[in-house]
Amino acid sequence: MPFFDVRDNRSRPDSSFTSSFRLVNMLAYIVRRALIALAALLAISFLSYTLVNFTPADPAEVALRVNDIIPTPEAIEEMRTELGLDDPFLVRYVKWLGNAARLDFGNSFTNRSRSVSGELARAFPYTATLAGMALVFVIGLSLPLGVACAVWKDGLFDRGVRLAVFAGTSMPNYWLAYLLIWLFALKFGVLPSSGTSTLAHYILPAMALSTLYIATYVRLIRNSMLENMKENHVLYARARGLSEKRVILGHVLKNSLQSSMTAIGVGIVRLLSGTVVIENIFAIPGLGRLCVASIFNRDYPTIQAYILVMGAFFVLASFLVDALQCALDPRRKAGTANA
Amino acid sequence: MVTVRNVLGCVVAASLLLSSMVVSASGKDPEDTLVMANFRDLRDLNPHLYGGELFAQNLLFEGLIFLNEEGEPEPWLAESWEVSPDGKVYTFKLREDVTFSDGVRFDAHAAKKNFDAVLDNGARHGWLESVRMMIDIEETGKQSVRVKDDFTLEIEFSAPYYPFIIELGVTRPFRMLSPACFKDGTTKNGVACLSGTGSYVLEMNRVDEYSEFVRNPNYWGESPSIGKIVAKVIPDNQARLMALDNGGIDLLYGLQLISPQAFKQFSEKKGFAGALSGPVSTRMLVLNTTSENLRDVRVRRALQHLTSKELISERIMLGLEAPALTLFSRSIPYADIDLEPYQYDQSAAEKLLDEAGWVKSGQVRSKDGKPLEITLTYDTNKVMERTIAQFLQSEWSKAGVKLNLVGEEEQAHRDRLMAGNFDISFNISWGTPYDPQSFLSGMLKPVYGDYAAQQGLEEKQRIDETILKAVAAVDEDERQAHYTYILETLHREAVYLPLTYERNRAIFNSRVGNVGFNPSQFEIPLQFMTLQ
Repeated sequence: MPFFDVRDNRSRPDSSFTSSFRLVNMLAYIVRRALIALAALLAISFLSYTLVNFTPADPAEVALRVNDIIPTPEAIEEMRTELGLDDPFLVRYVKWLGNAARLDFGNSFTNRSRSVSGELARAFPYTATLAGMALVFVIGLSLPLGVACAVWKDGLFDRGVRLAVFAGTSMPNYWLAYLLIWLFALKFGVLPSSGTSTLAHYILPAMALSTLYIATYVRLIRNSMLENMKENHVLYARARGLSEKRVILGHVLKNSLQSSMTAIGVGIVRLLSGTVVIENIFAIPGLGRLCVASIFNRDYPTIQAYILVMGAFFVLASFLVDALQCALDPRRKAGTANA
Repeated sequence: MVTVRNVLGCVVAASLLLSSMVVSASGKDPEDTLVMANFRDLRDLNPHLYGGELFAQNLLFEGLIFLNEEGEPEPWLAESWEVSPDGKVYTFKLREDVTFSDGVRFDAHAAKKNFDAVLDNGARHGWLESVRMMIDIEETGKQSVRVKDDFTLEIEFSAPYYPFIIELGVTRPFRMLSPACFKDGTTKNGVACLSGTGSYVLEMNRVDEYSEFVRNPNYWGESPSIGKIVAKVIPDNQARLMALDNGGIDLLYGLQLISPQAFKQFSEKKGFAGALSGPVSTRMLVLNTTSENLRDVRVRRALQHLTSKELISERIMLGLEAPALTLFSRSIPYADIDLEPYQYDQSAAEKLLDEAGWVKSGQVRSKDGKPLEITLTYDTNKVMERTIAQFLQSEWSKAGVKLNLVGEEEQAHRDRLMAGNFDISFNISWGTPYDPQSFLSGMLKPVYGDYAAQQGLEEKQRIDETILKAVAAVDEDERQAHYTYILETLHREAVYLPLTYERNRAIFNSRVGNVGFNPSQFEIPLQFMTLQ
C-alpha cells in the first residue's frame, strides 16, 4: 500500500499525508538537534579539560598540597607519574574523554581513594532533593500568584505581589538564607538551620533558593497572561459566552504556560547548578558544595567532571524543551526549527 | 490532564507532609553526646598520610609518645624509651595491655609494621628528616626498625636526630593502625579499615554531612567521659555560629574557625563560654631579600620600625593575640634568647630610609627616579590578612612607602610563594610542637616562601648548614648555640616581620566542661572534655 497518494495530495492534502509529513519533519528536527547537542557536549568537554589544565598550578603539586603532603621535588615527581601527567596534552584529553564516556572520571585529588563519579553520584540526590523542593515552591507559588496578578491587574493584590517580586529579585540569596535561619531556626526554633536528616531540613534552603525563581516566574507568567488576554481567541471565547474561569484556565493560561516552557525547562537545570551558595550555608553535601570545595582545592578531576555533567544537563534540558515545543507547536517545526 | 486544582492540591499536600516532619527534626541528641562542627569532611583518615582531619585521627589512633599541654613528651603506647649515647638508636619499651579496636594485639611486631609502612611511602614524608635517615639505614641492607622482643622496639638512624621524640608525639604519620587494616602489607595505597588503639571508634561517617565517634569499649586507658561525639560538617562560618547559638552544636574549636569578634561575642554571652590557649604560632610577614626594593637591610629594618604590633593586637585582633616581638615567642624551645626587638619608631624608620638613599620629596620616597613601591600579597580567604594589609598600607604611607596590595585565592598565593614571586607576603610559623625545628627545616626546601625570601642573604648557606647541625646536635648547649645563631641572624637581617602570637581558641555552650588545648593548634583534646 502506498505511503500516500501524491495525486490526491497535489490538490488537497489528506490527514495521513499531513501527519506523516509532520512526523518526518519532527524526526529530522530532533536528529539535527541531537547532533548539535552532541557537538556542544564535545566542545564543553574540550573547554573544561583545556581550561583546567592550563591553570598555572601543577596538578601534581596541587594533589599533594590538598592532602597536606609537603610537595618536595621527589613527591611531585612520584605524583606526576601516578596521575599520568607525563603524556602530551591531547593524549591525556583523549584518554580522559574515553573514560568520561564510560562515566569514569578518575579519582578525586582530595581523597585519592574515592572515585569522582562516586562523589558525583553521592552528592546528586541531595541537590536533586533541594532543587525538587525548590521547584515545588516555584511552581506552587509562581503559577497561582502570576495568574492572580494578571486577573486582578493593578489591584492591591497585584501591587503587593509586584513589590514582593521586586524585593525577591533584588535580595541576594545568601542574605535571604541568613535571614531565614535567624527567623525560623533562631527566633522561633521551628526549623533546623543545617543538615539533611529529614525533608524538613530542606525547607529553609529551598525557600532561599526558590525566591529568585518565584519572583522571575511570577513576572513572566503575569506578563504572558496579560499578552494572551489581548489575543482574538480570548475575545471570541468570551463572546461565545464561556465563563471567565474557563477563559482564563482553558485559553489564556494554557497558551501562557506554553510560551514560558523554555524558561522553566532551563530553569530546572539552573536550579540544579545554582545551589552552590545555599548548599554551603545550609551544610547540604550536594553538587554545589562539591563544586566549591573542588575549586578551592583545585581538585581538577572533580571540576572537569562537574562542568561536563552540568553542561550535559543544560544541553539535554534545552534539547528536551525544543523537542517538546516542536511536538506541541506545529509552526515551530516549519519555521523556527532551524533556529 | 494537569489542572491548576491538581497542582494546588499537590502543593498543599507537600506542605502538610513537610510540616509533619518538622517535629522529627527537633529531636535531641542523647545527653552524653557532644556535637561539634567542622568546616569539612573527615576525608581520608589513613594515619600514615596527611589528608584526614587531625581531630578524628587523634580520637582513633595513638602513638608511642604523648605530648602534654606544655609540649613535654610523656609515655603513651611506649612505657619508656632510651636514646643511645651517640643519639642514633632509640629503644622503646611498649605497653603490654593494649589491643586495637578490632581485637588485634598491639606489640612490637605491629609497631614495626606501622613504621615499615611509613618508610614504604618515603617520598610522601619528605619534610621529616627522621624518615630520610631511617631510609638511609634501610638502603645499606640493614633494618632501621627492629623487634628486640615482643614488647621492645629499636629504631636506628643514620645520624643523630633529637626532634624524633617530638615527631612521634604529633599526629602524623607515626600513629598505630591495626595491621589487619593494611592493604598488601602496607598503607600507601589506602587502608581497609580504621582500627586503632584510641579511646574512640568511628561508628559512622556520612561524607560531607556528619560523623559519629563512640567510646572504645576495650580502651586500655582511662575511659573518656563523653560517650559519643558527633562532628557535623558546616562549611559556612556564619551558619556555624548560628548553629552554636541555637543549640544545634555544642562546640566550635580552632582559631581558623573562630574570628576574634565571634570569640568576644560568645565569651560574653549568657549560656556560652570561651577558652584561649597560650601562644601557639607566630603571625608574621616575610620580606623577600631578593626583591629590588627590599635588598637593602636598612629598608627591611625601616619597615619593622614602621609597624605598630600593639595597634594590630589591640584594634584588629581585639587583644586576643599578643604583639609579637621576635620570630618565635620566648616560650618556644631554644627561642628564649635576648634579641633587641624592633620598636615602633617612625623617626628611626625615616632615618634608615634616608640613609638607604630613598629621598622623600612628595608623597612617595624615590631613589634614582624610582618610587619606593612595595607589593604585599595575601590570601583573600583570610579576612584578618586583608585587614592588617590595609592597616599597614595606611601606616607605611606616612613615611613615604607606597604599599600595593594584591589579594588572591589560596592556591595562586601558595604558587607565588613557592616561585618566590613576591616582595612581602603573610606567613605563619608552624606552631608548637613543630617550632622551631620543623619550621626552620622547612626553610631548606623550595616549598615555602621562606626559602625564596632568604636567597638574598649572604649567610643563607651558613644558615641552612646550621639548621642541619641543630637538629643533629646531641649536646644540648651545642644545639642551643646553633639555634641562637639562626634566630639572631634572621632577626638582624630583618627577614621576618613578626606581628602577633596566635592563640588557639574555643567557644562552647555551658554544658561543655574541661575544654583545653594540645600543644598543636590543629588537635582537639576531645577525650578529656566533659558534659554537664
